[in-house]
Amino acid sequence: MSAVATSSTLRRDLGLVAWQVRYEQRAYWRNRIRAVFTFVFPLMFLVIFASINHSTRLSSLGGIPYDDFFVPGILAYGLIATTYVNMAISTSLLRDMGVLKRMQGTPLPRWAYIAARIASTVVIVLAMTVITLGLGVVAYGVHIRASTLPALIATLIVGTAAFTTLGIGITRFIPNSDAAPVVVNLTVLPLTFISSIWFPAAGMPKLLRDVANVFPIRPLADGLERAFNPYTHGAGFSGSDLRTLAIWAAVGIFLMLRFLRQPQGETG
Amino acid sequence: MTTTQPRNEGPVIEVRDLRRSYGEVHAVRGVSFEVARGEVFCLLGPNGAGKTTTVEILEGYRTRSGGEARVLGMDPAQGQRELHERVGIVLQQSGVQQDLTVAELLEMYGRYYSRRRSVDELIDLVELDAKRDTRAKNLSGGQLRRLDLALGLVGDPDLLFLDEPTTGFDPGARRQAWSTIRSLCDLGKTVFLTTHYMDEAQHLADRVAVMNAGQIIAMGRPEELGGRNLRPAEIRFLLPGAWSLGDVPDVPCVERTVEGDRVVVLTREPIVAAQRITTWALEHDVDLGHFSVTQPTLEDIYLELTRSADENDEAKEVVR
Repeated sequence: MSAVATSSTLRRDLGLVAWQVRYEQRAYWRNRIRAVFTFVFPLMFLVIFASINHSTRLSSLGGIPYDDFFVPGILAYGLIATTYVNMAISTSLLRDMGVLKRMQGTPLPRWAYIAARIASTVVIVLAMTVITLGLGVVAYGVHIRASTLPALIATLIVGTAAFTTLGIGITRFIPNSDAAPVVVNLTVLPLTFISSIWFPAAGMPKLLRDVANVFPIRPLADGLERAFNPYTHGAGFSGSDLRTLAIWAAVGIFLMLRFLRQPQGETG
Repeated sequence: MTTTQPRNEGPVIEVRDLRRSYGEVHAVRGVSFEVARGEVFCLLGPNGAGKTTTVEILEGYRTRSGGEARVLGMDPAQGQRELHERVGIVLQQSGVQQDLTVAELLEMYGRYYSRRRSVDELIDLVELDAKRDTRAKNLSGGQLRRLDLALGLVGDPDLLFLDEPTTGFDPGARRQAWSTIRSLCDLGKTVFLTTHYMDEAQHLADRVAVMNAGQIIAMGRPEELGGRNLRPAEIRFLLPGAWSLGDVPDVPCVERTVEGDRVVVLTREPIVAAQRITTWALEHDVDLGHFSVTQPTLEDIYLELTRSADENDEAKEVVR
């Protein structure tokens, strides 16, 4: 009896997750400013930088075309913007407006709500990936190779898991939604400059590289860039990069669960 | 209208010796009451009295430090889904997804409940027909409050919590909201109301509890609260210059005074007293100006209760 009830409840709840994803999607794309900030911005950078450096070759990476480096770099940046930045800003806003509190008073299970928010983010990441790589292939002569495709996909999955959960988890440390963009940019922007997003980190002082290695942005960018680097032999998997990303995903999940366990309203 | 009966036929809300402390601060200090099915129960009290803490414990948002609390026979601290299915909550301040429209929000939230009211019916009920396809961020304060009420009712709840439901309403909208809330009770719903407006409590509540400094200091029907029905009524009128207080006939009264050119009679038999005074006035052709008979209002009683409670507290402080 209870097993039957449980499986039918689960089916209903999964239906609710799918239902909620539709509304999360609508809300995301209708909020123009946020969609521009998290979705259009990275694509704009791609077009600008790739246009400026179109014919450049990167000597520090053995002379590969700039686009082969920058398209995956901007994909990493776009992934962070649509997951971490978007989640941190929107979740702290939902918290401050009392939406999380309202949701808590409904029969929608918390896990279902958060699963829907995450699933909706995955949809956005997929759109970002398709557009970035589509532009890269069509306009900037980048090649998607079958040999490195599994590594590319694995990096995208673990990276999305890490940055989405970190985006939710960081909300605990964001005092109010006005502070969200500041906290988010403070934690992301400086790291992007030492993490092979805008230019290769190859020539950088060891100290900066050591710092970048601790955080998840460098492994994400390198993991994606390796998949597009014409000199990459074999599948392009890097155990240490994936491990670092997985550790950050674990940290993100831990922080996210702590944020979720804290009841809304008890803070007041 | 399909309405499932509450499982237990006991009280909808049962609270016994409820306590909540935040470190050294005792926000709720031993509160007990029951709310019956179909009743509108109103919690009144000044800011910081512990109202919100009490309500939020019952809504499941806060935990209690001691005592018992049952809502629809369940412990609200457990956060059971069945409880959420049957309870509607209209919080004082809680936003909605800004970029969704009125109809979309009602549709979205409605799906969470296994029993729900239709979007059209709800929009009709709170009179948001014209704003149906307007995004939440473009609604006025009063319209948002009406949307809140509709969202509280979306799951066709047995019990509805209303925290200051008509703040920011114009008088017409308030009357409308009151009649909506009243009509819920006719369907057997129970309403737990907190408000700052005495006329709202007077109008809606079957029973009122006054909270101060974490305790309930008075509880009863609005017309009986604090012995209101036993208080003397006040008869006031202007006596023309040619007449003096001695000319007015004797009436059963507690006190008879003159305030300037105005006579004030405090009486426990207002009908007899008023009848004698007016008969005398008609017989002697005295033109009594601004003649009025008033009972103490709920607000008078409330202010008196909360004031004397504060004075007691201060007295205790001095003794310490």
